[in-house]
Amino acid sequence: MEEYPEELRTPPVSLVSLVGCPELHSTISTYLHSEQPPINTLALPDFSKISVLSRSKKETLDSGQPGGILKRDWLLKHRTRSPAVVAALFGSDDVSGDPAQWLQVCTELENLKAVVRGRNIKLTVVVVQSFDKDEVSEDRMIALRKRAEIDSKYLLTFVQKSSSDLKHSLNRLGSIVAELANTYYRDEGRRVKTCIEKKSFSSVDLNIRYCFKVAVYAEFRRDWGEALRFYEDAYRALREIIGTSTRLPAIQRLVEIKSVAEQLHFKASTILLHGGKIIEAIAWFRQHHAAYKKLIGAPEVIFLHWEWMSRQFLVFAELLETSSAVIPSNTSLPLVTKDNKPLTESEFNPAYYYQLAAHYLREKKCCLELALSASEAVAEIESSADSVIPSVYVGQFARLLEQGDALVMQNLTDAEYVLYALAEGKRFQDSFEIIALLKKSFESYSNLKAQRMASYCSCQMAREYFSVGKFDNAKELFDGVASLYRKEGWTTLLWDVLGYLRECSKRLGSVKDFIEYSLEMAALPISSGDEVQSPIHKGEYGPAGCASLPQRERIYSEVFGIMKGESGLTSNEGNVTLNVTPERPIRLEIDLVSPLRVAFLASVAFHDQVAKPGASIFFTLSLISQLPQPVEIDQLEVKFNQSECNFTIASAQKAPISATSIGKTGARVVTAPVLTVVTNKWLRLTYDVTSELSGKLECKSVIARLGPLFTICCQAESPASMNDLPLWKFEDHVETFPTRDPALAFSGQKFIQVDEPDPQVDLVLGASGPALVGERFMLPVTIVSKGHEIHSGELKINLVDARRGAALGSPREMEPISTDSLHVELLGVSRPDGDDEPQTGQDNIWKIQHSFGLLSVPFVNLGGSWSCKLEIKWHRPKPVMLYVSLGYLPTSNGSTIQKVHAHKSLQIEGKTAIMIGHRFMLPFRRNPLLLSKIKVAPNSNQSTTLALNETSILIVSAKNCTEVPLRLVSMSIEMDENDIGKSCTVRQRDESQKDHALLVPGEEFRKVFSVIPKIHSPNLAMGTVCFTWKRDSGLDKQSDSNITEAGIITRHKLPDVNVEMAPLVVSLECPPHTILGIPFTCYVKIQNQTEFLQEVKYLIADSQSFLLSGSHNDMVSVLPKSEHILGYKLVPLASGSQQLPRITVTAVRYSAELSLPQATSTVFVFPSEPHFKMGNLKEKVTEIVTTGA
Amino acid sequence: MIVCIAVVGHQSFTEADDALKLHHIVHCSLDVIDERVNNPKKTGSTLNETYLGLLYPTENYKVYGYLTNTKVKFILVTTHLDVRDADVRNFFRRFHSAYVDAVSNPFHVPGKKITSQTFAERVSTIVKSFGLSSAV
Repeated sequence: MEEYPEELRTPPVSLVSLVGCPELHSTISTYLHSEQPPINTLALPDFSKISVLSRSKKETLDSGQPGGILKRDWLLKHRTRSPAVVAALFGSDDVSGDPAQWLQVCTELENLKAVVRGRNIKLTVVVVQSFDKDEVSEDRMIALRKRAEIDSKYLLTFVQKSSSDLKHSLNRLGSIVAELANTYYRDEGRRVKTCIEKKSFSSVDLNIRYCFKVAVYAEFRRDWGEALRFYEDAYRALREIIGTSTRLPAIQRLVEIKSVAEQLHFKASTILLHGGKIIEAIAWFRQHHAAYKKLIGAPEVIFLHWEWMSRQFLVFAELLETSSAVIPSNTSLPLVTKDNKPLTESEFNPAYYYQLAAHYLREKKCCLELALSASEAVAEIESSADSVIPSVYVGQFARLLEQGDALVMQNLTDAEYVLYALAEGKRFQDSFEIIALLKKSFESYSNLKAQRMASYCSCQMAREYFSVGKFDNAKELFDGVASLYRKEGWTTLLWDVLGYLRECSKRLGSVKDFIEYSLEMAALPISSGDEVQSPIHKGEYGPAGCASLPQRERIYSEVFGIMKGESGLTSNEGNVTLNVTPERPIRLEIDLVSPLRVAFLASVAFHDQVAKPGASIFFTLSLISQLPQPVEIDQLEVKFNQSECNFTIASAQKAPISATSIGKTGARVVTAPVLTVVTNKWLRLTYDVTSELSGKLECKSVIARLGPLFTICCQAESPASMNDLPLWKFEDHVETFPTRDPALAFSGQKFIQVDEPDPQVDLVLGASGPALVGERFMLPVTIVSKGHEIHSGELKINLVDARRGAALGSPREMEPISTDSLHVELLGVSRPDGDDEPQTGQDNIWKIQHSFGLLSVPFVNLGGSWSCKLEIKWHRPKPVMLYVSLGYLPTSNGSTIQKVHAHKSLQIEGKTAIMIGHRFMLPFRRNPLLLSKIKVAPNSNQSTTLALNETSILIVSAKNCTEVPLRLVSMSIEMDENDIGKSCTVRQRDESQKDHALLVPGEEFRKVFSVIPKIHSPNLAMGTVCFTWKRDSGLDKQSDSNITEAGIITRHKLPDVNVEMAPLVVSLECPPHTILGIPFTCYVKIQNQTEFLQEVKYLIADSQSFLLSGSHNDMVSVLPKSEHILGYKLVPLASGSQQLPRITVTAVRYSAELSLPQATSTVFVFPSEPHFKMGNLKEKVTEIVTTGA
Repeated sequence: MIVCIAVVGHQSFTEADDALKLHHIVHCSLDVIDERVNNPKKTGSTLNETYLGLLYPTENYKVYGYLTNTKVKFILVTTHLDVRDADVRNFFRRFHSAYVDAVSNPFHVPGKKITSQTFAERVSTIVKSFGLSSAV
């Protein structure tokens, strides 16, 4: 677009001529230029210059057969030389001055009129008011108007007294000038239009010219519709004269038509696009393209056609890019043009046109080269370009000849024109133009994320760089494109690009790149395809030619020739020779993502997952290649992460290349019968290695040496995680497993875990049954050396919750970590020598935490042993896993040797040893009335109630829940805070109870206490039962541990009791046993402890076992603080344990019944007087009898 | 004349003609398909429509696209510059059924190139009949 003249590129601008008063010209010009639309001014300082406005001689001659369609300078003329309006400026002094001055004005006006009238130029007269003078008289003004023969409104006075006046005057002048210009262009347009309508033109050429003029005049008036219509008319008319016009020689004729068509098309497209009619514009362009595409013209100047085509696309692309028009988003798609042809999105994209512009320019370049090579007369071409210039008509050229002083245009013959065109064509560097166009397209596509389109553009760019010999640039671009094609698996495209890359690296002298690209090409999955290129596709293919198997083989043998140093490769153009020298050996690296994996792939699979140190570890090394011919390898080096394992496999067929390279480090060398990798067939080699070091043994890489100067380093891959070959996986070829064992092919790994050496040490955890809560559980740990000495041993102890598998007391338990909250705690470790303190020494580690311990083990000789005891305390019953691990060095010297570890674990249950229970009982045959017991429902959760000052009985029981016998040390009740004597008396009832009783598993131990509460209190603390016990270690009572070990105290808090005063106490006095038929007396005592008189009802039920005397049923009054005794005489009628008649006492005041517990109101009846043999017992019985009596 | 038919699967493709230029055209047309598929609103085509229509015109060819449910793309490159949409639609329908038959072959490994002879014959029949029907 830039090569178009400005008057074509921009809409026409009206031109106004200013004459006279030159001092105002710049003010007026500036003002008019800033108007909307702008108006250009042609300023003539004085009236003598007006002749420039008159019609030149040449123009007047313009009547006969036209020499061309459009004049080249017609637009420019209307922009710079041919004004629409002339504004004559006269000073007011001159107008109102003396007659001489007036006459001068008149004359000037007359002259101007004469000039203006010839061209229908509009006239306006401006009288410029001086600053200090009065206005011009009315008469003079009228006279002036008459002289000028203009309408009164076109005569104006220009006042510049103040800035507002000046502005006003300028405004008026501007609007008048614009109006007049508009009239002028309308009139001119109309005049030409009548010519068209009347068909008063001698040739079609003139018709086109007239249409063009009408359109331009319409543009002057901003009448875009009419302009477009006439441009289209002109375009159509032009289309008709193709092939019919014979005014010029054929070649030049076509060139002219195309040039005019280009201009008309440009104008029409611009108007359409600026009007936002993007669909119409595209349709118009399409039609333009279709109409002229076939008009290639004479064969020798085809390049002109392509150049023209390219320009069409370029200009349209630029128009599209700069126009504000956007793709209508709301219209229903698919978009169609008026003639119902679908539009695609790409046609809205300037990139599409840039790309095609580049394409046609390339076409032009090719044709031009062809044409240049065809024409032999190079010198003639050089000379012919001289003195040929564009002629006055658009699209025509002429030779400028000097005839004397005058310059004469001479028409060219077609032959001359062709030579001129060739000479012109040679001057341009088309390649850079093409690259620039493609670059624009590339950027645009990249912005649209159309990656493939963009890469096509960059591929084209690279080809262009390649053709001009800029191999660096080409290679960079091609590399980018190749990676996309590789990723997407477009083999044919990749082949082509690689062909270029190969050639680029050859030209650049980069042997390594050349070999890499060549190998990749040779390994591409191309098996079919003719070797012979069809002539149609000639030129389309890159330096590698058409992809085919023979080509691959050729490339392969070429590159192996170089690699083996057999032949150098000299590139034809440059002076670069590609060969491999001993100074510069070639080493290729093939990693997991390298495109060269297709050429060489090494897979390593260990047969096992773990191995013992020092044992043979077998693995399979497999190599595959997709190169078209078998590859012979001289030797293979296998590298491991443990460099001692590295070894070399040499081919038996070939003598070792050089002794130095192999045996330098004393590494292992094995020979293999065949080291030839056949196409698509795994070469499987199975070897073994030995590793002394524990840990991971991984195969890092396999280095194949081919010839003395060439190595390929393949990163080893595990068959289990091996990716398919990127391009070959779509191919229908036989796929085999890298290992003989198919299972290994799926699971094989290139690494193996080498175990630690087996520990030759016994780690013994001497567990003795479950641990008991509360005790310090001693766990002996013994280390016995069996084959290793123990140096710098370290014992790690870990206590882990067996159920949760977490460390004890970890934050997961949601308890604050403190000693109390820990359920199980590692208290310490006792040394065998009893030294619990850590020794002060740097080597000694002594670290005990709640669940973790770390301690160092001193040196243990071969066969020796060391032991310690872990002290663990359970606070709650819980199973715990104890992990103990010993790490040590088998020898004292050498820090490189790895530590050997021995592990042991043990689950230990923690159990509750003692279960303590308690029970309160009423005193024997005595029942106090407790009011709170009557009021409250019996099942409510009320604490035990005891009567004040009455003796109650407390039975405390302790049961051994363990499986081991326990020895009781003591049992007592401790009061917490209150003094025992004050609140209540708790006394051990049976002093004769011996301590240190043995409790076998499951046995229960009971102890009876009597309790006398002394204080009236609703919740009296009863204290805590302290039960002290220890493990019974059998007969060995005198053993040290038993003496030193204090008993373990198990505490049991007794619940608080309610103590209240009993108002009435009923007690029964009765002998424990009687004899059948012998009467006995039984008393019921009712004790009133209150200050009131208590009325008491009593009821005695009959019993079959006894004969009863006394009142059955009565009510008595018991005086305050006194006692009433009911006496009964009873005769037993049945023997054995008999229930006494039931006596129920009811306190009227409290409506409470009191009866004695059934268990206590029994008496044993002997059938006759018993006779006991044993003396002391007899004595006792008689005693009883006497009591009974 | 139809110069090229391409089946572009997730990664694989088969072609009737292997001129380099056609490879380029087919490759670039994938961008257009991607755009159409990713912005269905902009192109206005409904989601269920498999026929993608004219993808883009090149200087000498027209490229039409078709996308199956399994995201396999069919691309047709023709030198006919005046093709009726219905013809192309019909062509793709027939081609799709041929393709479905070919990949349903138990010996065909999904993802590999289609090597079936029958498929090639069927495709060439369809291609020939396309020329005829549009001539009528």
